[in-house]
Amino acid sequence: MALLHRFGCCSSPSPPPLLSFQKSTSGSVLFSVSALPRRHRFPRRFSSFRLTATLAAESPAGSVSDGGGGPPKLLMEVKDLTAVIAESGQKILNGVNLSIYEGEIHAIMGKNGSGKSTFAKVLVGHRDYEVTGGSVIFKDENLLEMEPEDRSLAGLFLSFQSPVEIPGVSNSDFLQMAYNARRRKLGQPELDPLQFYGYIMPKLEMVNIKADFLNRNVNEGFSGGEKKRNEILQLAVLGAELAILDEIDSGLDVDALRDVAKAVNALMTPTNSVLMITHYRRLLEFIKPTYIHIMDDGRISKTGDISIANILEKEGYKAMSTT
Amino acid sequence: MAVSAFTPIIRISPSPYFTLPTSQYQSSFIRTRKVKPGVLTQRSLPPIAALSDPFVLEIAESLEDSLPSSSSSGLQKLRDFASESLLSTPWPSRKDEPFRFTDTSFIKQSEIIPVSSPPTPESSNNLSVFEDTQSLNLTIIDGYIISSLSQLPGLPDGVFIGSLSNITSNEIANRVLEILPSSEPGDLFWSLNGVGSPDLVVVYVPEGCKVEGPLHLRYISNEGSDKESKKLPVSNPRVLVVVEKGGEIGILEEYIGGDVDLSYWTNSVTEIAIGEEAKVSHSYIQTQSFNAAHIKWTSIRQEKSSTYELVEVSTGGKLSRHNVHVQQTGSDTITGLSTFHLSGNDQTQDLHSKIVLDHPRGYSRQLHKCIVAHSLGQAVFDGNIKVNRYAQQTDAGQLTRSLILEPRATVNVKPNLQIIADDVKCSHGASICDLEEDQLFYLQARGIDRQTARKSLIVSFGSEVIDRFPSAGLRKKVEDLVKKLLDPVVPSKVEKSV
Repeated sequence: MALLHRFGCCSSPSPPPLLSFQKSTSGSVLFSVSALPRRHRFPRRFSSFRLTATLAAESPAGSVSDGGGGPPKLLMEVKDLTAVIAESGQKILNGVNLSIYEGEIHAIMGKNGSGKSTFAKVLVGHRDYEVTGGSVIFKDENLLEMEPEDRSLAGLFLSFQSPVEIPGVSNSDFLQMAYNARRRKLGQPELDPLQFYGYIMPKLEMVNIKADFLNRNVNEGFSGGEKKRNEILQLAVLGAELAILDEIDSGLDVDALRDVAKAVNALMTPTNSVLMITHYRRLLEFIKPTYIHIMDDGRISKTGDISIANILEKEGYKAMSTT
Repeated sequence: MAVSAFTPIIRISPSPYFTLPTSQYQSSFIRTRKVKPGVLTQRSLPPIAALSDPFVLEIAESLEDSLPSSSSSGLQKLRDFASESLLSTPWPSRKDEPFRFTDTSFIKQSEIIPVSSPPTPESSNNLSVFEDTQSLNLTIIDGYIISSLSQLPGLPDGVFIGSLSNITSNEIANRVLEILPSSEPGDLFWSLNGVGSPDLVVVYVPEGCKVEGPLHLRYISNEGSDKESKKLPVSNPRVLVVVEKGGEIGILEEYIGGDVDLSYWTNSVTEIAIGEEAKVSHSYIQTQSFNAAHIKWTSIRQEKSSTYELVEVSTGGKLSRHNVHVQQTGSDTITGLSTFHLSGNDQTQDLHSKIVLDHPRGYSRQLHKCIVAHSLGQAVFDGNIKVNRYAQQTDAGQLTRSLILEPRATVNVKPNLQIIADDVKCSHGASICDLEEDQLFYLQARGIDRQTARKSLIVSFGSEVIDRFPSAGLRKKVEDLVKKLLDPVVPSKVEKSV
């Protein structure tokens, strides 16, 4: 397509004057870390974990204060989830167990091919994978029975590892279409293009991208960094109770990573949660996880706090499998 | 769904397929020749006549009979030239390479009736003139210029737009004669047009003249018959555009039908001669009846450092074929072809393009996109780019993408590059597919339901071409048209896709 640059598509008309009558709704939230041992504070949470033996050896991890409003609610509970590649039948997930409570940040680390991205895609209903067993309850509903669009409307968001390019669909049309679908679901009136500009401008600022970004086609010709920023912009526009960030740090320079992390932190509220997949400790310094899980051969083999990432950084995954 | 793609390096020469004429037809065409003596009488010798196709001769004869003999020497020259080549051209069959994928039996099985007179004022009453009086526009009904429906305000000095017979300047008349007839690139349909065109519409832009605003050529096929009658009134509009050195003009050709469901055959030829450093922006919209045949030739000659850009959207016709032939006659030319065909009915959309580069540093970009959204729909693309020995440092790119949305729908593409020069940059690519699952999923993952996602992806497929139309008004108009045509298609996809 780059060959055809000479034809130069005409860009859409310049944006109408801004009417910023809707401010960004989500403010940043301070997290206070309690030193309470996790197992004592939320004993029931790990009852479904298979690997309680290894958990006992872990040092206490931080947990999020619940703002004094009673114990946080369970947002998503994954039990013994197994899945295969639909086409080949190859087993990828071999019994994943994970519980995420409101306000928590979870990180999944693991070797290439251990099933991290597959897990993320299975959660949002990607057709390449077939669930063969187990259950996923999201906000008291059976997630696995829902269509991908309904999962999104229910409050689940996946920031894709490699977002696909969609030539011919402008970013602004796409975002408006998605946002209005959300508003319909919430029983709110849809926004017209002018109102939508008013809504989206603060979001663009939040992710630190320019307004002409909206006139470009979805991800078409975007650099790796722009694609990731675009994913976070969509998260900011649509909002989500659970945001899954699949390698949001890959392909980003340190400034871009800081922007993205800042935006994610700003989007956190006491009732939102984040599940991030990463290979590097660097991201965890910007977005501090409550728990770190190690995925190995399609299941979570170890759960702990930031100290796990430190060991990984020094000794690699070998250290994990031998402990 | 049937798909075929070929990329042969060297084109197979068409295998001639001739039928021997019965004596009855043979004699009739020769008899006509005798009535109108001319150069051809000597040429109608038995060896050539023996190769003639009786069906072709019959059409040629009826076309000839339908027109008064021309007083204009230019037009007569055109007709003589065309009828000469008709004597040795058979009706194309599927065995001929250029018609391998295109079935012309719709025309052949109809009773072909030439439209022999300009429309009566009453019949053109229901057609209104353009609301926008600022723009230059010329209405051509069944090949005849209708002055009452045309407006040409404020033409710069030296610019001529109108019938060949109305040219008053000797200079322009001589230039036109010089250019006509061109070194014939055409096929049978080109020649039939030559024999049957009642008038030659001339657009002349003198040296250094830049014509403001696009010239809107509105072709209307007014005479038509009911689908069941098997009758096919044929009209042969013919246009010659000459843009002299440094001149510039934008041309919008729009083909429409007077009534929606009528059967007719528009057999049109447009020739454009572009002088040194001249620029022509050419927009082409074809929305004729779904019971019509639309055969179009566009022949371009580009001199040194000239620019030609074509943007086409074709959605109409039961059988629609556009032949685009670009011949480079000087170095450093820029050529752009962007075409979008939509086959949303029981119809064939065909693009046969050929770009011949004979001189150094030519630059060409071609993008062809088509959507077949009906199980009996077909799209054909044959895109030839020829880079000859002296065309060094040519930069030629071609890309074709087809979207096939229904089972049993057909797409035939044959992109082919013939490169003889050794210092060139050429690329080509072809894809034929349904919508990409990844793109659909991406939209769904953002809460957009599958049906809406499909619809927006299908519409967006064509917008890459539509966005290249030079005016915003035109883009909007065509976009709305395409959306309307695709709308009934989209819901029917739901049960299949789920």
